[in-house]
Amino acid sequence: MSEASFETVLSQLRDAAPPAPERLRDQVRTLQPAQSRIRAWLRPALVAALIVTLSVGTLAALVSGPDKARREQSSARAFRPQIPAPERQTDRATHGGVAPTLTAKSRLQRQDVAMSLRVHDLSGATQSAVRTTRRLGGFVAGADYATSSNEGNSRLAVRIPVANLQKAIASFTQLGTILSQHISVTDLQTGLDRLDARIATARRAGHHRTVKRLARRRDALVREGTFARVSLQLTTAKPAAKHVVPGRFDRFLDSSGDILGKEVIAVLYALVVAGPFLLIAALLLFAERTRRRRADHRLLEETG
Amino acid sequence: MAEEHLDDVYRYLLYMTANPHLAEDLAAETFERALRRWRRFDPRRGAARTWLCQLARGAALDHFRADRRRRRREGVYASDIPETDEPVFGEGLSPDLDRAVRSLSAAEREVVVLRVVLELDGETTAKVLGIRPTAVSTRLSRALQKLEERMVSDVRG
Repeated sequence: MSEASFETVLSQLRDAAPPAPERLRDQVRTLQPAQSRIRAWLRPALVAALIVTLSVGTLAALVSGPDKARREQSSARAFRPQIPAPERQTDRATHGGVAPTLTAKSRLQRQDVAMSLRVHDLSGATQSAVRTTRRLGGFVAGADYATSSNEGNSRLAVRIPVANLQKAIASFTQLGTILSQHISVTDLQTGLDRLDARIATARRAGHHRTVKRLARRRDALVREGTFARVSLQLTTAKPAAKHVVPGRFDRFLDSSGDILGKEVIAVLYALVVAGPFLLIAALLLFAERTRRRRADHRLLEETG
Repeated sequence: MAEEHLDDVYRYLLYMTANPHLAEDLAAETFERALRRWRRFDPRRGAARTWLCQLARGAALDHFRADRRRRRREGVYASDIPETDEPVFGEGLSPDLDRAVRSLSAAEREVVVLRVVLELDGETTAKVLGIRPTAVSTRLSRALQKLEERMVSDVRG
């Protein structure tokens, strides 16, 4: 068959193709679009779910914002030096008074004070501390003075008569800004009473050497209770940057960022975990589609 | 839209099934499906005619699968296509040509109707069949060659 005549054949096929019967046309006209019950509620449900998710996320961000700020504030507090109760009392003294009296005058007590101050003039402050110590009847037991290009530190171990300890602390607080302060009091009266009892017993028994030995120990104990040990540390180092409590908007942004970050991590984690399975599923899907397409073609080939 | 494309869908199914009554039923089924799935239709992905042809193909394949299962179950291997001298593919078609078209497989008639009768381009035909355009060309070429051979043998016979 020639090409021209075959073209005629194809035109004949095209022209002779029958239209749809009227019966079918009428049938199709009567078809009504079926309102899917699922679709009717699916869209509002999806919108509602989206709104609920967004609301919960926003609420969580708002709620976790102040909480986080509180946590940050508490953690900031946690980073401050852990000071015992007496020191906290003296901490108040930083702003306007001297350290409270913790001693009982009727009992022999050993008092240890440790103070850390930031000063502008390290040399002047150190000399002033030494002068104050001597003026109040004390003495310097040890000193350590070191400076570098940026900062300097001075450490003084002084002994102050307990009667003048409060005056000494008040003077030292004038040297600069108190960074920390620690006061501890240890009762020596019990040990002193015990020694006195032993000395009396030894004296009655006529043990002079024991009396002398116990008397020396008693003198040492009394000296310990007469002079307070004060450790003074002076520094010119700048304090760490002050912790700024973020504002409400900053906290909200911060929290939102945190939540989004966690969501991204969760999604990435899910992808990493589910990735191989998704890949296998995609491959299986592709294979199934190919198989189905081939099966369909085979079916049509077999159908006459 | 149904009115506009009804003839095309019917012709497509007529060529697929080679059975006017079955084509009618499947065309009705196709439009029922179209109305059910109307929300899924996306004009950006293809014309309405293409989408309807895809639905019609699905309906025809479902029928063929069900028919094959039924025949296997009943142990019937003969085709249900009625052996008749009446023209199936149009009144104006010569009996020889009608017979030659009928002798083709459904797969071959399918590509002929899409490319020749409905005059779809290669890409759209490929979309309907779910294959590549080059495969469409190959299938069409083989189908037409076979059709030509059948007609020549009919003329000689």
